[in-house]
Amino acid sequence: MFVVGCDVGGTFTDFCAIDMDTGAEIVFKVPSTPDDPARAIVDGLDRMLASHGVSADQVARLEHGTTVATNTLIQRKGATVVLITTEGFADLLEIGRQIRPHNYDLQQDAPTPLVPAELRFELAERVLATGEPHKVPTAEDIDRIVARCLDAGADACAVCFLFSFLNPRHEEAVGEALARRRPDLPVSLSSEVLPEFREFERLTTTVLNAYLQPALGSYLSHLKQQMDARYPGVVIGINQSSGGLMSVERARNYPIRTALSGPAAGVAGAIQVAKTSGEPNVITLDMGGTSADVCLIREFAFDVGLDHNVSGFPIRLPVVGINTVGAGGGSIAWMEADGLLKVGPISAGSVPGPACYGSGGTEPTVTDANLLLGRLSEGGLLAGEMPLDRAASEAVFERLSRQIGMQSFDIAQGVLEIVVSNMVQAIRSISTERGHDPRECVLMAFGGAGPLHGVEVARALGIDRVLVPAAPGILCAKGLVVADLTEEFSRTVRVRPETDGMDAVWRYLGELVEAGSAWFATEEIPENERVARAVLEVRYIGQNYEVPIEVADYSKGPPEKHLSVDELRELFMREHDRRYGFFNAEDPVEVVNVRLRVRGRLKRIDAAPSAPQAEEGAGEPITHRDVQFKRGAWVKTPIYDRASLAAGTRIAGPAVLQQMDTTIVVYPGDKASVQGNGNLLIEIGAI
Amino acid sequence: MKERVTNPDSLDPISIAILQNALRSIADEAYLALMKSAYSTNIKERHDHSIIVMDAKGRIVAQAERALPGHVGAALGVLEAIYERYDESEILPGDIFITNDPYKGGTTHLPDVNIVKPYFVDGRFLGLICTLAHHADIGGAAPGSMSSHLTNLYQEGIRIPAMKLMREGELDKDVFDLILANIRIPIERRGDYFAQIAACNLGERRMQELAQSYSAGVLEAAYEEIISRTAVRIEAALRRIPDGVYRFEDVMDDDGFGAVNIPLKLEVRVKNGYPTFDFTGCAPQVTGNINCTFNATKRVVAYVLKALLDPDIPTNQGMFDCFDVIAEDSTIVNSTFPAAVANRSQTSQRVADMVIGALAPALPDRATGCSHGTTVLAGFSGPYSKNPDGYVYFEVVAGGGGARATKDGKHGVMVHVTNTSNLPVEVIEMEYPLFVESYALVENSGGLGKFCGGRGIRRIVRPLEEPCYFEGNGERFKNQPWGVFGGGPGKSGRFYLRHDDGRTEELPGKVAGLAIGKNQSIVIEAPGGGGYGPFSERSHDGLERDVRAGNYTETYLEIAVPDRFGPASREE
Repeated sequence: MFVVGCDVGGTFTDFCAIDMDTGAEIVFKVPSTPDDPARAIVDGLDRMLASHGVSADQVARLEHGTTVATNTLIQRKGATVVLITTEGFADLLEIGRQIRPHNYDLQQDAPTPLVPAELRFELAERVLATGEPHKVPTAEDIDRIVARCLDAGADACAVCFLFSFLNPRHEEAVGEALARRRPDLPVSLSSEVLPEFREFERLTTTVLNAYLQPALGSYLSHLKQQMDARYPGVVIGINQSSGGLMSVERARNYPIRTALSGPAAGVAGAIQVAKTSGEPNVITLDMGGTSADVCLIREFAFDVGLDHNVSGFPIRLPVVGINTVGAGGGSIAWMEADGLLKVGPISAGSVPGPACYGSGGTEPTVTDANLLLGRLSEGGLLAGEMPLDRAASEAVFERLSRQIGMQSFDIAQGVLEIVVSNMVQAIRSISTERGHDPRECVLMAFGGAGPLHGVEVARALGIDRVLVPAAPGILCAKGLVVADLTEEFSRTVRVRPETDGMDAVWRYLGELVEAGSAWFATEEIPENERVARAVLEVRYIGQNYEVPIEVADYSKGPPEKHLSVDELRELFMREHDRRYGFFNAEDPVEVVNVRLRVRGRLKRIDAAPSAPQAEEGAGEPITHRDVQFKRGAWVKTPIYDRASLAAGTRIAGPAVLQQMDTTIVVYPGDKASVQGNGNLLIEIGAI
Repeated sequence: MKERVTNPDSLDPISIAILQNALRSIADEAYLALMKSAYSTNIKERHDHSIIVMDAKGRIVAQAERALPGHVGAALGVLEAIYERYDESEILPGDIFITNDPYKGGTTHLPDVNIVKPYFVDGRFLGLICTLAHHADIGGAAPGSMSSHLTNLYQEGIRIPAMKLMREGELDKDVFDLILANIRIPIERRGDYFAQIAACNLGERRMQELAQSYSAGVLEAAYEEIISRTAVRIEAALRRIPDGVYRFEDVMDDDGFGAVNIPLKLEVRVKNGYPTFDFTGCAPQVTGNINCTFNATKRVVAYVLKALLDPDIPTNQGMFDCFDVIAEDSTIVNSTFPAAVANRSQTSQRVADMVIGALAPALPDRATGCSHGTTVLAGFSGPYSKNPDGYVYFEVVAGGGGARATKDGKHGVMVHVTNTSNLPVEVIEMEYPLFVESYALVENSGGLGKFCGGRGIRRIVRPLEEPCYFEGNGERFKNQPWGVFGGGPGKSGRFYLRHDDGRTEELPGKVAGLAIGKNQSIVIEAPGGGGYGPFSERSHDGLERDVRAGNYTETYLEIAVPDRFGPASREE
């Protein structure tokens, strides 16, 4: 049976199918159909299977990464949402945290709320900080507010009451009343979307969820219909921002969880590649046209962060710990008013694109710099389908050269130095700044521009190896195939272990474990494929930010022996010290949230590290050209076609390796070798 | 790793840009570390802290980007303060200095504690890492050290001259215990001092790492370049202000001790792109704690120039050397020891308003209607059944933003010197015996105009335990935030008491230690922002939106602008 990963991007819809019985892999690409993304998915699937002689009934699952929610948000094309809040708090959405986004810019505001004042209603209800109801809403009040919501012509409804994370009864009552009157109206209750304290973040997350519900809901219904017609019985999984999959039903209820899912699949794919090369600790560098995503992988796993910003709105949800920096091939180089050279964050994008694309770009970009310095071929990108115009790059750099008063080539080299330093900074903030040493990792470079700069990024960080996947263009689809079904249950508890003991913590966790068991049952996960890990979010009493501590494995029921208060304190102090460089040995702590991460393993693809020691040999360059690796020094450099390099090939830098979707630059002194699995390993030499 | 750069002549617009980013990243990283590990609400929630990298002359080279504008140029003068008590040869690796003296040491009020670590490269003292943070208490006569009834610096807390807190890596327990003995809830505060020391160490460690790639000489040369290039950049921006003399006058409500309608005056003289901000004529310093030191006033001017002319200009010494400030000694904008300064942000906000008001005719596209122009401080304290130490909770409530040349002012937003987050209602109620009845925007509070000012926030709080003491410190409760170019004024703020029997009781703008009961609630209303341009030019769309969104009530508009829709629109 096959599992198919399908990643829908702006230009291409990528497929990666793996035969679960043999491990055989199929890779396929068709143009996307943005007006109806499902068309490319179903048609592409047909074509891929036909070309490989696979029948429809051999497909078990389709794992799908979608950008429908992301695009809906960016284009502000979501639903008309009505919001119901606790009486006295309808303006909270507008007030937010009462801060402005830029300290010095008098013209810049936080984004306009997604629900205007006239669609925000208040219900006479209140729950206290203890969870006890202070004012129970009357049935008449609820009916009246439901009527108002429906009269307002809403497509979706968000409900967020104070302290609903402790007592969801009032929100549920409104949800039930809405369902009675309009069973088809999408409703987001904050106690279901994010049952955690801090009302504004819970509110925006809930409102965004409601805003996306109709759009993602109708897309998924349509996709499911199309799939059912041609592939009955194929189960669809939807990718989440946390890197796991969820069922179509859950995705319909929690569309916000897909909003940041794009890069998450790429990281999952990178882990898969890392497994085949036997590299447990990796820093990923995914550099495209407008930005670079970096992520730290330790022991084949990524970190999950909780607080994020989506289109200017703060949300709190588990998201793969990716750091994005405005450094891409299209990033524009410019002179700041103080005469210093800057690169990005503005990008020429793909339209008009860099000057050398010849589609109207008039600004010098990173890609133009790479072309000027001989690192990219004038023969062009995408195996020559996209020729590059060197004269155009020269012209735009000439202009910058006159402004700054330096030679064009030196500036081009400087552009690369700056873009590298920006990426290095982004990597430092997810590694060094969190107490992890990047030198213990291999750098995995992918995306169209990642392998152009990977070696220099690695060198600046003291990393001695760079890995370039065999097929850097389909990592997302690959990540989807291997992803598992995941879910997260959380609860704000605020227990003080030194005085309250740990019993309360285990009791709350027990409730989450029950919820997790119910989820395993609904999703039909066999017993031996269930994983459940408990995380406590701990801080010193009086602090504001919690440190997550993994405390127990509930995969096979409650652990035999629970942590003691002292053991928890010990773990917390150690983690606090690692993150912040100090701990307060005597201070009392509190457990703020309990969290249970559950995972249903869907497939077992054991990617045994393949033997990299194929027969050694040297590749044949296709040509030579002058390449500048450091300021002022041109080196006649062999150019290779990566596709022609067999496993075991060893190449000493300097060298440039070209392939369909990327270009790899190997510096003088570095050594590249093709591994048995097709990945390229570059060992960084001393300069 | 790359070769170490040792030749200062190799610096160019590329390597300087890279170094400048690296320095700012050091400040930013330490800033976040301090925010996440601190205990004081002011630091962890309100981000009332800052990290500054200085050179060996005590000049600012880089500052954390997210630090509050009130911290712009914070710590200027700290090296001079250290030199007053120590010889340069006594500054040793591993030392950490501490000071909070607003009259000698570069802070602007006592709760801002500056903890400073010198860094050394190639065996030379090359500069300081400054961490500056607003602590929840610094001792003195009142919990929180910000009470409106404090009338001199001695009452406002412990005054720490620049002195060593750590000597070559060893904590001076005597100094530390003396400080802790003078502040409330020392256990929590101790965590803040440790968090700051850790941030200092982090900054210094990162400087050492940077110094592996650059020699001391290269770093010094880069500092000069960074500062002089910023100066050139701000000077170019300043040339947008036509030469001339610009004047503005404003009035502060009161100091809580009988000084009312306190006059402020500003004359800006611009000659060849060099502005002189002359505050001659401002009122003498007052008894209440709203006085500003000269340093504080100068920083506000720097903030406004950055905001009006070039919001993205890097914060460093270059920003401070391109204008002049004149203020008479012992005035409210240049107070002398021991004038009380805890709530100096009230006057700082007014100075910002005045600079914008004065320059509005010169920069009509960039100027705004007056913002709410105050930091409305509301504090609650008392014994608490769940905590033997009792509780102290302070909050700043935001008002409306001033309207702009192309759009309305923002509702409920922090302005100018401060940009501090609110505390979530759920956090307030879980941590303190308080109940928040409402958190909303005040209707009819934005100044009318072609573009209207933003609305202020109303927060209603009731104590759940007795006694509870209320502290309030607000401005523009009488003197409304003005509009520009014909725009109307924003509504004043106010504090009042609401009894359960329906009676209300207006409170003054400065309230100290008012006992309130469980059958009462305190209503805090922050002022709205001023409008921009005459209301008669407001679009019909805008007017309809106003009413629909509840910005203005029908009744209010009927009285304020009876002919607002005009005959033409009625037919639509």
